[in-house]
Amino acid sequence: MFVPPRLFVFVGAFFGMDALFVNFLNGLSWGTLLFLISVGLTIVFGVLGVLNFAHGSLFMLGAYLAMQVVKWLPNFWIALFFGPIAVALIGVLVEIFLLRRVYDRDVTFQLLLTFALLLVLDDAVRIIWGPAYHVVDPPPSLTGTISVFGVSYPVYRFFIICVGPVVGITLWFFFQKTHWGKVIRAAALDREMAEGVGIAVPLLFTAVFALGTWLAAFGGALSVPYQSVGPSIGDRIIIESFIVVVVGGLGSFPGALFGALALGMLESYGTMFAGRVQMALPYILLATILLVRPRGIFGKEA
Amino acid sequence: MKRVLVCISILLLLFAAPSFGASSNSKPIKVGFVYIMSGPFATYGQFAKQGAELAVAEINAKGGILGRPVKALFEDSRGKPDVAARAFRKLVYQEKVDCLIGLDSSGVAKSVVPLMKEMKTPLIITHAATPDVTGKVCNKYTFRISVNLAQNVKAAALLAAQTKAKKWTTIGPDYAFGHQSWEYFQKYLKEVKPDVEFLPEAQTAFAPIKTTDFSPYITKIMQAKPEGVLISLWGGNLIDFVRQASEMGFFKGNWEVLMTLGAATEVLYALKDKMPEGLWVGTRYWFLANNSPINVAFRDAYFKRYGQYPSYNAHGAYSALYAYKAAVEKAGSADKEAVVKALEGLTIEIPVGKITIRAEDHQALTPATWGKTASDPKYPIRILKPVKIFPAEQVTPPVEKTGCHLK
Repeated sequence: MFVPPRLFVFVGAFFGMDALFVNFLNGLSWGTLLFLISVGLTIVFGVLGVLNFAHGSLFMLGAYLAMQVVKWLPNFWIALFFGPIAVALIGVLVEIFLLRRVYDRDVTFQLLLTFALLLVLDDAVRIIWGPAYHVVDPPPSLTGTISVFGVSYPVYRFFIICVGPVVGITLWFFFQKTHWGKVIRAAALDREMAEGVGIAVPLLFTAVFALGTWLAAFGGALSVPYQSVGPSIGDRIIIESFIVVVVGGLGSFPGALFGALALGMLESYGTMFAGRVQMALPYILLATILLVRPRGIFGKEA
Repeated sequence: MKRVLVCISILLLLFAAPSFGASSNSKPIKVGFVYIMSGPFATYGQFAKQGAELAVAEINAKGGILGRPVKALFEDSRGKPDVAARAFRKLVYQEKVDCLIGLDSSGVAKSVVPLMKEMKTPLIITHAATPDVTGKVCNKYTFRISVNLAQNVKAAALLAAQTKAKKWTTIGPDYAFGHQSWEYFQKYLKEVKPDVEFLPEAQTAFAPIKTTDFSPYITKIMQAKPEGVLISLWGGNLIDFVRQASEMGFFKGNWEVLMTLGAATEVLYALKDKMPEGLWVGTRYWFLANNSPINVAFRDAYFKRYGQYPSYNAHGAYSALYAYKAAVEKAGSADKEAVVKALEGLTIEIPVGKITIRAEDHQALTPATWGKTASDPKYPIRILKPVKIFPAEQVTPPVEKTGCHLK
């Protein structure tokens, strides 16, 4: 997605170097946030085989809980730590009491169940916190702007840009290099075989769903200092996350990274160059991928 | 067994509850309120509902309308035309309401207004601003007591004409409302100040309503180096925009900023001190704009009941019920056709001031309110100082120009 330097300079002379660079940062920070959310969606699908419609609502729950913690004790870092963990615990309960019952059933049961969960969570949030908008400040250490290559840009957005790779690399390391990561991948490949060699698959599935939930909620908590918290914020993010995972390939880790950054860049540069067509760009990308390569860029052969 | 009993008792309570309130024996007058009660704009519906409930409580405490108590029914439009149409049909055909009040979104209003001809029930719009519902698609049963887009944007243009800015652009939501705001603004500003210039389409920004990250749009407008920016975003979009724009230094730029819906208390309560000071913001009603006894009474009663100051949407729902009451009393009955006739040309004092519902197009001649954001330790939110009121005559387009042909 990176524009080659010479073209960059050429187009830059035409539209202004600054704008190109700022939009690069805009796309990068939005893409990073999308990556955190969609990587959770893709991990849950890859391992559990469940397409979680309620993933966006868990994102929303992360945002609301973080906002609530900040209201109680005005410290964003505590909120960023405890909010997502609390949501992950809810994820544990959801897996044990609901999802576990539908693994062996037809996929429509899973879709219906997670969709019902979405509706329940959306209404629960509205009952608990009401319909009003809430706003949370970034922590004092991350407020204001810094100047990079002559462009001033909000510090908090840089923070998001940095957090993404840290989480991404940690996840990659965990799945590729650690014992438990290998166990999870084994269970994802062949559930029966994994059980046969003595892996506690149900426990593993609970842990993986909790991890996916945590990622969604972490993305939610991370978005709170620059986006307002209000009802339905989850519905908006789930659509984008679905586009990301379909483009990148369902269940694919690099696919989520690629899809998220592609979508982020498409939206920021699209605003600059494509005018009103920008709105349609993500869907055009989605349709093209579905037609040309239905399994997604990084998707494996079914 | 126990669970069944609990269910039955809850059901009984639900059905019995409304009858406790009705002290009078006469049949209640039913009014259906349709607002956005869920989704990203739900807080607007919440304020409207509170305003409506306050008016119902006040009217019923003073003996109702023509001795009949008022019963309010609330439905969620979800901001979607088909849902709103279903809510209207349910209220009119099943609940048999005597009057409909509501509508937030212009898109919704435009598509349900034509249905009023078959429902034959008066509808009083209190928020949706599209000029079309009292213009191109106007009809006998549809009225509006709130400021419409033309009135609001005309006021914006008059304000813009007084600034030094000559090169204008816009950022708005990517649907009819945003585009119409910009179109009317260009037309009106050109009329009062012919030497202004408007940036081409490529340098305007219209963000889809689902946008949460406005940074590319902010970048685009800042790069265009305008002298003035008209902002027609509202609700959560406006909140996200203001916060991200502040961080990116947008409000420190060398340009004038006019926000057509910036003084909605829904937005001001969320942003609190994060709303920059010294910006021109518009609204349909401002709770501190005047100290008429009727406004003071409304503001105080609302604050006492809900602990917040009323927004324009609360004011709209509240005032619409009083306007309906005045029309029923003028007509001497709640007969729908008689009420429609009585609403035409009705003059009534509501908290925003004295308004007259124009008989020719059913649009209220109501003042447009603008002001500059300022901080005041007495209030938890930004207030307007100074407040600038544009009288209805100054900002309302003449009937010939509305495209409405009722007579």
